[in-house]
Amino acid sequence: MAPPPRIRNFSIVAHIDHGKSTLADRLLALTGAMDPKKAVDQVLDSMDLERERGITIKQHTVCLPNRARDGQEYTLNLIDTPGHVDFSYEVSRSLAACEGALLIVDAAQGVEAQTLANFFLALEANLTIIPVINKIDLPQADVEGTRRQIAEILGLNADDAIPISAKVGTGVPEVLEAIVQRIPPPAGDAAAPLKALVFDSFYDPYQGVVVYVRVFDGRVRRGMPALLMSNGRVYEVQQVGVFTPEMKPVEELSAGQVGYLTAGIKRVADAKVGETITDALRPTRAPFPGYRDAKPMVFAGLYPVEDTAYQSLRDALEKLRLNDSALTFEPETSMALGYGFRCGFLGLLHMEIVQERLEREFGLTLIITSPSVRYRVVTTGGETVEIDNPSRLPPIGEIDHIEEPHVRASIFAPTEFMNPIYRLAQDKRGEHRSLEYLGKRVHITFDFPLAEIIVDFYDRLKSISKGYASLDYDFLEFRPADLVKLDLLLNGDPVDALSVIVHRDKAYEKGKALTEKLRAVIPRQLFEVAIQAAIGSRVIARETVKAIRKNVTAKCYGGDITRKRKLLEQQKEGKKRMKQVGKVEVPQEAFLSVLRS
Amino acid sequence: MTRSDQPSAVSLQPTGHHPLGAYVHIPFCRQRCHYCSFNTGPYRPAAMDRFLAALLREIDRGGEAEWAGRVTIGTVFFGGGTPSLLEPEELETLLDRLGKRFALAPSAEVTVECNPESLTRDKAEGYRLAGVNRLSLGVQSLDAGLLVRLGRLHSPEEARRAFEAARDAGVDNLSVDLIYGLPDLDLPGWEATVRGALAWGPEHLSAYGLTLDEGSRWHGEGVAGLPDEETVTAQYWSLARLAREAGYEHYEISNYARHGFRSRHNQVYWRAEEYLGLGPGACGFLGGVRYGNVKPVERYCAMLDAGTLPIGTHEILTAAQRKAERRILGLRLSDGVPFAWLEDKAPLVESWKELGLLEVADDRCRLTEAGFLLSDSLFVELLEPRS
Ligand SMILES: Nc1nc2c(ncn2[C@@H]2O[C@H](COP(=O)(O)OP(=O)(O)O)[C@@H](O)[C@H]2O)c(=O)[nH]1
Repeated sequence: MAPPPRIRNFSIVAHIDHGKSTLADRLLALTGAMDPKKAVDQVLDSMDLERERGITIKQHTVCLPNRARDGQEYTLNLIDTPGHVDFSYEVSRSLAACEGALLIVDAAQGVEAQTLANFFLALEANLTIIPVINKIDLPQADVEGTRRQIAEILGLNADDAIPISAKVGTGVPEVLEAIVQRIPPPAGDAAAPLKALVFDSFYDPYQGVVVYVRVFDGRVRRGMPALLMSNGRVYEVQQVGVFTPEMKPVEELSAGQVGYLTAGIKRVADAKVGETITDALRPTRAPFPGYRDAKPMVFAGLYPVEDTAYQSLRDALEKLRLNDSALTFEPETSMALGYGFRCGFLGLLHMEIVQERLEREFGLTLIITSPSVRYRVVTTGGETVEIDNPSRLPPIGEIDHIEEPHVRASIFAPTEFMNPIYRLAQDKRGEHRSLEYLGKRVHITFDFPLAEIIVDFYDRLKSISKGYASLDYDFLEFRPADLVKLDLLLNGDPVDALSVIVHRDKAYEKGKALTEKLRAVIPRQLFEVAIQAAIGSRVIARETVKAIRKNVTAKCYGGDITRKRKLLEQQKEGKKRMKQVGKVEVPQEAFLSVLRS
Repeated sequence: MTRSDQPSAVSLQPTGHHPLGAYVHIPFCRQRCHYCSFNTGPYRPAAMDRFLAALLREIDRGGEAEWAGRVTIGTVFFGGGTPSLLEPEELETLLDRLGKRFALAPSAEVTVECNPESLTRDKAEGYRLAGVNRLSLGVQSLDAGLLVRLGRLHSPEEARRAFEAARDAGVDNLSVDLIYGLPDLDLPGWEATVRGALAWGPEHLSAYGLTLDEGSRWHGEGVAGLPDEETVTAQYWSLARLAREAGYEHYEISNYARHGFRSRHNQVYWRAEEYLGLGPGACGFLGGVRYGNVKPVERYCAMLDAGTLPIGTHEILTAAQRKAERRILGLRLSDGVPFAWLEDKAPLVESWKELGLLEVADDRCRLTEAGFLLSDSLFVELLEPRS
């Protein structure tokens, strides 16, 4: 590795699909770090789910050797960042490990919501930003318009933008040169006590957790006692190395360098992103600011469809957690759905990924309750409790008020879609913050209750804007809101799995929709079934499933009892998948269809 | 359940606790009714002859069993098909043979199902002299138009005449079969049929709600004008009321009788007692084994020609199945079952009681008339889950 003055640490950030992965592959190929074909294979091997979904959740950090035009050998460390809003904390930590960032803008699309979000994250991290205009090979590419947006929206110097085609390779050498010329070399004191930032990690069954680090001060080498400053644990460093992109052990990593270390750490949760690692014998004075636990924002109950799969679900979740410190889960019992887990996720995408991996890699079939957020309940006794499961809400009498998490959302869209977007925002209890015209497009910001965003917001936004609107959001704060718990009752017995917390203004509409849906899927029983939606003891919507009137096979001809019994046995078989709520039998499909809404 | 290709592998050995019933299936009709899915085919004299020869052989084969001499037959039921296609002499031969191979109780109830168009006074008298003491007349409806739609070969008037002919012939135990829930049958139409039939003064009345089973013409082709559930339910209740007012006892889900005239043969089924099944497709129950004869007449005859019993399927009931059957069958009767039989289902019994579907008295559980109407839903709950 080159000495610090000839090291450049950088990230690539972009709105989804603007070409981040393509450019990364190009850079790898051009510097000879890897041949392009192999690069694809590598990514495929590690996380085909991401590839299939077209989203990069985690990529690999790689160290690129580069001979610059000045004839010197440089080491360019490309530090990859997760590409989705669910993971903005992780992005911020990766950026903190860099001195510069390539900000890609698609020449045909222009600046989008995540371009802006990433731009702000890069600014916060004090990075040198190199704007890159990609896809100039496309016929509809508007390089000049994109330059203007970069100047107007981002306030960057438009002349600094490098037009490239990551696909065909045009301009990519200029990008490499700009990295060397514009991004400052890492500062830092190799003689000072060790101070390294954890910006990523993964679990390896043989070596334990492999921790990605950026060394700011000092040096780290094998045998050193490493202190993790957030939890006070000490581990003996077993190996240090760099990614070429294969893991290659080196003697040591010193100030300015990027690489990995292993130290027999058992779970990624023990060395979380944002952690500061120092020398236990000669610790640095203060850890990096900004460390926080990645907090789950979205919660849902996961239940195996087959009761017998509970243990397998637990095992599968344990395995996933080895590598996913943001995933939380705890056992939960539902009267209606049996035994399962309350799981916490960073966001909806994270939830989908976990669900898909559980189903695909572990062969589980799951029922997932509708996602909810974590509410803060301030009780009349002045206590604050956090609730992530609506059925755990304290009785109304004990609640002083409830606070719900809000996000600030940023939406980019062509002007023509403004009206429907405002209507959608209103429907979702959005509070308008700002509006900015950018030629033919607008940038609108709103504050939303997170709960409104996690249900069907993104899909609706996409559909009303014919796919043109882009969205980004960030946690803002908890705010008091007029929230109520809406219970669904079958002949007076609450169906715990179907309780939801909703804004009072929407309770009626929601209650009506849910009761109607249930009426359609609950079979008639021997008695009338009243389906009620209630807030506390007040019923706000009601539907009835009439009692079955007759069910009789009058004739048992010629003593053919066997046939008769078999018909009954078949009916009995069909009832196996029924869950009992009080005396009412509810088919499993009924839960599914309601939860899916 | 066991389905065996080697019927001889099963041993049928009645416990002999009660007199046996004997069901005899006559698998021919002049014309198949449109709602009918039973095992029957077109009537041809030659086929009937061949079949009767096989049937006698089946009785003989049964009579060879070492237990045959020890059991008594308490009821005989000729069903079909159209048993009234039989000449009195043919019936006499069959009854004689049964009496010869098994002991036929002197007081045995012997029933023949009759279609009005094939029942004359002479035939009825011939049957009576042959030993038949009960006739069940397939009237189905007293609406002329409906009878045509059903594919019946008689008019309401002919049905009435057949009934009177049987009376004239000295048959003092007559039953009438009716069907409700028929296409385009409204409540007044149904009540007219019920009133009309009751006015004849039959000792017994069977009334079935129409079901379209696989194998029937209406099941295959569909049928327009089926009344809705409300109407069918109302027909059930009006029948129950009219029969009660006329002095009949609603002693089984679909059966009504004057005092002392319940069908003894049908009660053999509901009490889970034993019976022989004779003829193609006939079912029997002996020594805890339910069995069924092969259905195609040709096959039935061929097997008997070859000297084998014509059993097609059999099922050796497990203890749990027997228990479930006894409760389910027993609850079809207004007598109900001993309370102890349902002790393990106490919560169900309790909730059915609350819903007015079941009554508990004198240590017995009985379905109410409302319970009869929902009996399939209740019976499902009484089955034991399959292991
Ligand atoms: N025409 C053209 N397509 C490109 C270019 N760069 C990337 N793409 C395509 O844009 C899509 C998204 O690129 P990708 O690198 O996966 O985007 P990411 O989501 O930012 O990583 C892919 O279909 C690429 O092939 C380019 O320079 N020109």
